[in-house]
Formats: sequence, structure tokens, C-alpha cells
Amino acid sequence: MTMKKIQLVILAFLAVTFVQALHAQKQLPPEGSTPKDFTIPAKQTFALANGISVTMVPYGSLPKVTVSVVVRAGNLNEAANEVWLADFVGDLMKEGTTSRTAEQVAQEAAGMGGSVNIGVGPDQSTISGDVLSEFSPNLIALLADIIRNPLFPESELARIKNDRARQLTVQQSQPRQLTAEQFYKILYPDHPYGRYFPTTEMIQGFSIQNVKDFYRKNFGGQRTSIYVAGVFDSKAMEKAIRSGFEGWNKGSEPYISIPKPSMKKAFHLINRPGAPQSTIYLGLPVVNPYETDFVPFLVTNALLGGSFGSRITSNIREQKGYTYSPFSTISTRYRDAYWAEIADVTTTVTGPSLKEIFGEITRLQSEPPTEAELKGIKNYLAGNFVLQNSSRSGIIGQFSFLKLHGLKDDYLANYVKRVHSVTPQQVSDLTKKYIRPEKMTLVITGDKSKIEEQIEEYAKPAVEPK
Amino acid sequence: MRRLAVAVFMLVLSSVGWADGGTGFNIPVEYHKLKNGLKVVLSPDKTAPTVVVAVYYNIGFRIEPKDRTGFAHLFEHMMFQGSQNLGKMEFIKLVQSNGGVLNGSTRFDFTNYFEILPAHKLETALWAEADRMKGLAITQDNLVNQQGVVKNEVKVNVLNQPYGGFPWLDMPQYANTNWYNAHNFYGDLEHLDAATLADVKAFFETYYAPNNAAIAIVGDIDTKEALAMVEKYFGSIPSQKQPPKPDISEPRQEKEKRFTKKDTLALRPALAFAYQMPQRNTPEYYAMGILDQILLQGDDSKLTQVLAKQKGYTDNVGGGINLLGNMFNYNGPMLWMASLIHDPTTSTDDILKAVDGVIEEARAKMVDRAALNRAFIKIRSDLYDNMGGFFGFGRADLLASFALFDDNPARINTLEQELLKVTPELILKTAQEYLRPTNRTVLMVEPKSGS
Repeated sequence: MTMKKIQLVILAFLAVTFVQALHAQKQLPPEGSTPKDFTIPAKQTFALANGISVTMVPYGSLPKVTVSVVVRAGNLNEAANEVWLADFVGDLMKEGTTSRTAEQVAQEAAGMGGSVNIGVGPDQSTISGDVLSEFSPNLIALLADIIRNPLFPESELARIKNDRARQLTVQQSQPRQLTAEQFYKILYPDHPYGRYFPTTEMIQGFSIQNVKDFYRKNFGGQRTSIYVAGVFDSKAMEKAIRSGFEGWNKGSEPYISIPKPSMKKAFHLINRPGAPQSTIYLGLPVVNPYETDFVPFLVTNALLGGSFGSRITSNIREQKGYTYSPFSTISTRYRDAYWAEIADVTTTVTGPSLKEIFGEITRLQSEPPTEAELKGIKNYLAGNFVLQNSSRSGIIGQFSFLKLHGLKDDYLANYVKRVHSVTPQQVSDLTKKYIRPEKMTLVITGDKSKIEEQIEEYAKPAVEPK
Repeated sequence: MRRLAVAVFMLVLSSVGWADGGTGFNIPVEYHKLKNGLKVVLSPDKTAPTVVVAVYYNIGFRIEPKDRTGFAHLFEHMMFQGSQNLGKMEFIKLVQSNGGVLNGSTRFDFTNYFEILPAHKLETALWAEADRMKGLAITQDNLVNQQGVVKNEVKVNVLNQPYGGFPWLDMPQYANTNWYNAHNFYGDLEHLDAATLADVKAFFETYYAPNNAAIAIVGDIDTKEALAMVEKYFGSIPSQKQPPKPDISEPRQEKEKRFTKKDTLALRPALAFAYQMPQRNTPEYYAMGILDQILLQGDDSKLTQVLAKQKGYTDNVGGGINLLGNMFNYNGPMLWMASLIHDPTTSTDDILKAVDGVIEEARAKMVDRAALNRAFIKIRSDLYDNMGGFFGFGRADLLASFALFDDNPARINTLEQELLKVTPELILKTAQEYLRPTNRTVLMVEPKSGS
């Protein structure tokens, strides 16, 4: 251990001398010109009497428009024996309405240059379409019909069960998915967020009545927001939205169930004999978007592991060559978030990879980054903010993020300023406060016989997720 | 001319009241060539205060040394490992600390590098790209490091994944006969290990010259200023004599081929089928683009309707033209491909029978008007996304590809017209020749036994 340290110090010293020697002859990059103004694209909003909030953002010059209808209905609303029921509801919503067959729905959407996409997540379901601008009002009418008048045909249930059972099997053969399942189980005990996969029996047990009940309980105006971005005629769009959605019922208010995620150190190994890589999930609950630490914590994450040039990625990829695409992420849910480092590393260096990851965490805890390093990361996030607000889907993503987390528009207006106000000491302090190895869940999928010894010091306490 | 094309078209489809003549969305294209041969394409777009810089080298993985499979891709990694004024990690940090994102990729016929930055950082990005076009400063350590990274890339995408490499990496190896099209593009791990610094140097000198490259700049730019910057930073880089291009053609396929691949990580069987495409930019090629929309793209497509919705063999039929890009950004033989994962209780023969039903109908009967109308609208919608997607990168990709392959980036504004020229008769003729059973390769994935 001591020997290693000395070697590292010498290497670091050599590297510095080397860089300084080169610097004498090196050209410096040109700074560029003065920044151009960026303003977040202006939005138009209105609300319907049934509680639907509508946000429309004229954007760009391409003759296309994206419409997303976001409903606060997701896996959160499933009971313990109903895992993926929300996904089933999404699947069956594409199977026709009381006045359109599934094939007609598909053909109408295609005839506008798009398709109807339904995505189901932990907190919400998104029903969306991306079409040529000239068809904007028709898209609204089609989405309204799908959302308000789903047929939920019994005739398609067996096929969809079979499809979902096949998908389950396929996902259970993927190392990332297997690892994520156990990570969620440990992190969110006794909460829907922790229930990643159903059993095959669960899938086979779903009935149309289950689907209809879920829909009745969780779909309605009070749970719904509509977002429009792109090139469209605002008046015609508002008219189409009003005529499509005004008559819909209010439904119930969003269901709130804030989890109490695990803050206990835990380890779990999934044996995958012969695996050439170990898949690592390492993380813990952290600050959520509603709290003031959130934006500074985004900066901290980008510096530690959340960008190509970040410390963990530089170390285990660019210095050591242990892995290809490691990254750290902050995953948010309503009033909840976790941080995780995720990496697939070569089997023989599983232990050394963990050592480096933990090493980077403790290094950032104990010493603040330089002003220069931090400034680079802040500029990166500020530049990314412009990109996030410069596409139809990005704009919709930003506004629906605000809506879900109950944030005001000033979150966007002040975001760049808040990023730039973060100090080096704050980054170190936030690492200490939130990224705490002694409270982390570590799940690894890999070849047990080859990694057990390497990871011994990290492999405790071992738990069996329920 | 455009008007004429649309008018002819309306005659063909008169009874459905063809309303979709296209909006003629037009992209500004300025094209220059520096003295050293570097092609420069500029396309201003003031939608956002951002700029895309995309440098494309006319070297893809098809053309790599025969004892160094995977080298073109390994080399792409080396372009991030240091140049005269930018040490290891400094290129990446320079772009990020100026508010940008970056990446590179290796495809059939080009290797590309791009940055998306705040518009006022254009000069910074051009300086950095020019620095690495001038020459690399790579050490043995950096090479070894990236060999490790690339081997991990192969492990995470292929070796440790069920259906790893299926069908995108596998199918070209089975369907093609010419080594250039049929070798493993990711490379054998032994070949990756065998690469030396001398290989890196030779590859760079041959293929990374300005006369083998195109640069596309899209975004909030002044084209005069941008061109002056390109001249300033790239103008002095010497051109290099280019070796003759190898013959990458594929013979006409005369017999159906069937293969089985064992996949011990997969728990369900899978099936892919592929047909050799008509030659790029011919009328039949555009017709294949329309056929792809009719048969495979979107929920309304015939293969999706039959295989997924009616028969329930699968939940998704994926595929298209050029799985590593789109129907426009390649330059050589190409496959039109579809794939699906199915249950062990469904036989391959049953699936292929259903596929044949769809394909043979397309070869026997003129396409129905409603389906054709939808296909045109879908492809137009896709095309606009290509022209504007990913913050202008999609546009830069098309412009650089057309500069490299056709010496004519303004082609971007002819695509819609060329597609609109396709007639039902041409579609039928194209299906008859290119969707022949004898032009097909079928690849089956056999999962772990007992599952």
C-alpha cells in the first residue's frame, strides 16, 4: 500500500514536469468570440376546467411538431402483485379505441408522418406523437381518442401477455438489467420503485378488468399535462386541445407515495459464470430536485463521474483501460433521487476498478477541486443547458421535469447562474454529505469464482434482496 | 423542375387527391474546396446559438488492413489520445469546458468526429480539429490503454450480451462475399492486441489527409467568418497521395443463404433476414427507401402488422437500410435488413412463411395507394428529422457524407424530389429484382439449449 502510494506520487510529479516542459512550445486554443444571447424559448400556457395544464412552445423552423401527453400514472401506482400492470395499460392503449381499430390508429399516425408512442415510467406515462406540422390538429384528435376512449380489447390480451413474458425473459438475460433489478430491490424495500421485474405468473394473471381498473383509478384531467413544441399554429392548436380534451373527466389527484430508500451499506453478487466483465451498480439515495442542494449536486456529479472528462471516467477508462462506458447518474423520482456509478469492467480488474471508484470519491471528499477544473465543468453544464432547451423533445423534457417536481419557471431562469455560483469547497462538502461509501448499495453481476477474492473488502455486508 | 416532378406524381395518384407534394424545405448549402483538397460545407441555421463542427474522413471499417480487423475503429479512439498541442484528455476537456459535447464513430465508409458547442466557440473547435488533422502525438501507453478500452467495448456490446452483435455486426459477415464487406468490423481481440504504433502512424498518414476529408459546419454562423477560420487553421495541412480504392463491390446474389449462430447467453431464438440493396442513388435505390417505409418502418408497416400484430410472433420487427446510420450516409454495397426475437414454440419456417407472404405480395401486386401515401409522408417526416435532428448534427452528417461521396452536398435539397419521383410501377419492379428469394440471407440465433 505504501509502496504503491510512493509510486503514484512520483508518477504524478513526472507528469506535471512533462506537461510544463511541453507547455513552453504548445499553442493555446483560441478563446472564441463573445457569447450569443440565449433565452429559453417562450411558452404559452392555459388550463382546462378538468385540471389539464397545457404548455405550448413554438420552436425552430423545421415543419414538425411534437405533442406529449403526460399522465401521473406509472409503476408507482401498482400493487405488489401488479408489477408492469402500468406497462400493460400502455400496451393496450395502442390496441384501438371505441371508434378506431389498432391498425387504424397506426395508419392515421403514419399518415401524419409519425407513430403513437407510449412510454411508462415509475411516476408517469407519456403518450406522444411527432409529426409533420401540417397535421398538428389531427394528431391532437388522435391522441385524445386514444387517451379518453381506449377499447382495451380482450382479444389482444393473450398476445400482449406473451410479448411481455418474452421481453421479461430477454431482459433477464442482460447483465445490466439483472444488476439493476437487485439494486432497486435493495434500495427501495417495500416500495413500487423497488419492484423491477414481475414474475411470469404475475403477467399471466393480468386480466382486462385489472387494466380497466388501473386506468379508471389513475387516468384523468387532474393527473394530465399536455406539451406541444415545434412549428404549429397556436390558435388552431389550442382549439384542437380544447375540443379534444375539454370533455374528459377530472379523475383523481396524483397519488403520492414517497419512498424511504435504504441508507444501509449492502452488497449483493449475481453469479454469471464465464462473464468477461463484471457489471457494477454502486449508489445510494441523494438530494432530490425540490431541494436547494440539487443544482450544486448536479455540478458535483458531472465533475466526479457524470461526464466524459470526469474524474472516475478519466481514471478507470482513460488511464487504466478497465472499462468502456462508465458513468455516474442522478436518477430522480417525485421527492426522491439516487446517485449511482454504473460500469461494466473487465473481470480480472473488478477489485481494482472498485478501488479507483472509491478512491475518487474519497479524494473529492477530502480536497476541493481546483477553480480551473470546476470552471470547466460549470461551462460544460451551462453549454448543455442550451442544448437541452434547443430541441422539441428537450424543451418538453424540461417543462415536464418542472411540472413533476413542482418547480417554478425560475428554476430554468436561474439554472445557469446557480451552476456558476458553486464553489470548490461546496463540491467537496456535497460529496461528503451525499456520496457516502459507508451507506452505499453495491450490486455486481459477474463470474463469482474469478472476482470473489478481488472484491472481498467491498463485499459486505452481503444481503439477499427480498 | 420540382414542380414538374410533383405534377407527374399527382397524375399517378390523382384519385387519392395527393396533397403531400412536400413543403420543399430547403437547406442553405455553401460548398468550398481548399487548395489542399479539404471539402468545406457551411449551412447557417439561427434556430439556437449553437454550432456543429463535423469532420469526416473517407475511411470506414470496410477498408482496413486484412491482418488488423477492427483497426479503423481502434484508430478512431486514438484520435482522442493526443496531438501536437493537445495532450491526452485535453481535447475532451477543451470541448467540455467550452460548454460542448463531442464524440466520434466508425461506419462502413467514413470515420467521423464532431463537437456541438455554443456558437461563439466555433474557432476553438476548428483549431482543435485542425491540430489533430496535422498529426498525432501518441505513446505506447496510450495505445495499450485504448486497446483495453476497445476490448471492453466489444465485451459490453457483444461478448457479454445476449444477441450481442446481432444482427448489425453479424449479418454483413454472412450476407456478403467480398472480404471488405464481410469481415468482423469490431475486430478479433487478437488483431486488436497486435496493433502497433507504426500501424497507427501509417494509417493516419494514408487516410487522415485533408484531401480525404470533409468538414461540415452547421449552426448560428457567419459563413464568411467560418470559411476564413477553416482556411486559417486547415489551409496549411499538406495533402497526401491517396492509394487506389479497393474494389468493394458485391456480385449479384443468385441463391438464398441460411445460417445459424449459437448464442449461449440468449434465452429466446431470433431471426434476421437481409437483401442486397440496389446501387446507391439509382431510381431503384429511392424505391427501396419507399419500400422500407411500406414494409418495415412504423406500426402501420406490413411486416409489423403481420408478424407482430396478426400472428403475434414477436413484439417488434426492427431494421431498415444501413443499421449503422441511415439510407444516405454510406457509399457501397448495403443490406436492407429486418430482425425479430421470437418464442421457441414458433418455428423459423412459420415466420419465414409469413415474411414471404408480405414480400411476395409486394413483388406480385402494385402497392395500394393508401400505404404508398403514408410511406411518402413518413419518409418526408424522417428526412426533416435528419436535416434538423440532434442540434443540427443530422444535417452536418448528410452534408459531409454527400461532400465525401458525391462531391455535391447540395444533394441534400434533392432527396425529397428524388423520393417523390418513385412510382408504383418502379416499386413493383424494384421489389421483383431486389426482394427476390435468391437475393436473401437468413440468419437464425439458436439460444442456450433447454431454454
